[in-house]
Amino acid sequence: MIQFSNVTKVYGNDTVALERVNLNIDPGEFVFLVGASGSGKSTIVRLVLKEMEPSAGAIYVNGTRLSAVPRRSIPRHRRNIGCVFQDFKLLPNKTAAENVAYAMEVTGQRPRTIRTKVPQILDLVGLAEKTGKYPDQLSGGEQQRVSIARAFVSQPPILIADEPTGNLDPDTSVGIMQLLHRINRIGTTVLVATHDKEMVDVMRKRVVALEEGRIVRDKVKGAYADEV
Amino acid sequence: MRFNIGFFIREAFKNIRLNLLMSVTAVTTTFICILVLGAGLLVSAHVEGLIGSVREDVAVTAFFQPDEKEQKIQAVRDSVEGYSEVSSVKFVSKAEALDNFKQTFADQPEIYEDMGSDVLPASLEMQLKDPSDADAVASKLEGEGFAKKDLSYPQQTISRLNEVTGYMIWGLYGATALFLISSILLISNAIRISIFARRKEIEVMKLVGASDSFVRTPFVFEGLVEGLIGATLAALAVIWLNYLFVDWSRQALPFVPISGNAVDTVLILAVLIAVGVMIGVIGSFLSVTRFLRV
Repeated sequence: MIQFSNVTKVYGNDTVALERVNLNIDPGEFVFLVGASGSGKSTIVRLVLKEMEPSAGAIYVNGTRLSAVPRRSIPRHRRNIGCVFQDFKLLPNKTAAENVAYAMEVTGQRPRTIRTKVPQILDLVGLAEKTGKYPDQLSGGEQQRVSIARAFVSQPPILIADEPTGNLDPDTSVGIMQLLHRINRIGTTVLVATHDKEMVDVMRKRVVALEEGRIVRDKVKGAYADEV
Repeated sequence: MRFNIGFFIREAFKNIRLNLLMSVTAVTTTFICILVLGAGLLVSAHVEGLIGSVREDVAVTAFFQPDEKEQKIQAVRDSVEGYSEVSSVKFVSKAEALDNFKQTFADQPEIYEDMGSDVLPASLEMQLKDPSDADAVASKLEGEGFAKKDLSYPQQTISRLNEVTGYMIWGLYGATALFLISSILLISNAIRISIFARRKEIEVMKLVGASDSFVRTPFVFEGLVEGLIGATLAALAVIWLNYLFVDWSRQALPFVPISGNAVDTVLILAVLIAVGVMIGVIGSFLSVTRFLRV
C-alpha cells in the first residue's frame, strides 16, 4: 500500500531528515511511526502526501510511483489518503458538518449524497449533537473527531494521522485511538505518527521506530520502546 | 468531475459576510480608485469637448467688393457650398453687416449714425470641418477671384491651437493611464491582504484534496462581486458629479462652452465598471495562485 525504497530526504544542503529508509506497509495494516521530535516522522507523512519530493529513492502509494504523479494530479492523489493532523486543520469559518462536507465537495459528489453521508459519519465519530458547531465551539477532542470524520468520509484506502493525540489529554486520546482502530478494522490502512508512548504500548500494533532519520526497529505487536 | 456553480457562489457570499471588514476594505479601495479614475476621464472628456468647440469656432470670412454684382455673389456662394472642407456657409448681406455693426456698438450710436447702408461689404462666413484646412480653403477662394486682403482667417491661431491641444490631450491620456495603473496596484493589494489573512484556510483546502481551481473559484467570485460593487457605486458617483458640474458651469461660467454632451455617460459607466470588475477578478486570481503551492 505504501512503500519506501531507499528514500533519503535532505533539507537545504546538510540537514538529513531521512536516510535510506525502506518501509513496506501492506493493505489493512495499522502502523505506528514512533520517534523523538526531528526523527523524521513528519517527513514521511509529508512525502506520502507529496507535499515535497524525496532527495533520492522511490515512494509508491497504492501502486503508483509518486515521482510520476504530475502536479495537477496531486489533488486526486490526496483524495486517496485521509489526513488527520495534530492541530486538526479545520476550516474555522465552517461548522463541523460543513468541514466534513467540504471534503466531499472537492471530489464533486452529489449534494444529495453529501447530505445523507455527513450526518452518518458525524454520528459514527460520536458528534451527532454537534454538527452545527464551529471549531472554536468544540473541545480539542471533538475537533479531532471532526477532522477524522473529514478524513474518512470519502472512505479512502489510506488514513494518515500525524500526532493525532499531541494536543489532547490522555482520556480523550483513548477515544481518538479507538476511533482509528475501528476505521482500521473495516479495512483501511492506518499510519499513525506519534510519540504518545502509553497509547502505543496499549494498542499492541506494528511499531516502526525512527531515530535521526533511520529506521532502528520494526516490530509486529510492538511497544514504544525496546522491551527487555 | 462536476462543478457546482451554486456552491461556489454561496461560498463567495459567505466569505464576504464572514470577512466583512476585509471585504469592506476591498470595496472601499475599489470605490476610491475608480472614483479618481472616473474623475480623470471626466476632466479629459470636458477638456476635449472644450477644445473641440473652440476649434469649431474657427471660421474663414471672405468679403465681397462693395460693387460686386448680385449674379457673381450668387455664383461664388454656390461654388463655396460645394467645397468639401466647408461644413456650413452663411451669407451676410450689406444690410445684415450694418445690423451686426449696430448691435456691436449699440451703446455708442454716434459711431454708426452717419453710416450709409453701402459702407460695409457683404461677406461669406464659412465654418470648417477641420480648422487645419483653412489654408487650402483660402487658396481656393483666391481662385474664385478674392484678393488676399479680402480674406480673413486666424491662420496663426489655428496652428498654435492644434499644437497646444495636441499636448493637452496627450497629457490627459498620460494622467489617465497613471490613475489606471495606481488603481490596479491599490485594489489588487487590498485583495492580496484579504487573501493573505486566509492562507491557512487555502492550505487546508489543498490538503483535503481540493484542486487549484476548486480553491480559487470562490475567491475569484468574491473579487468579482467586490469589484462590481465598488466600481458601480463609483461610476454612479462620477455620473452624478458630472451632472452637478455641468449644471453649475451653466450658471457660473455661461461663456465657457461646457456641454453635457461632451461626456458619453453610458460609455463612462461601462468602462469604469468593466475596469473595476476586471481588476477584482484578475487581482484575486493572482493572489490566490500565490498561496496554492502546497
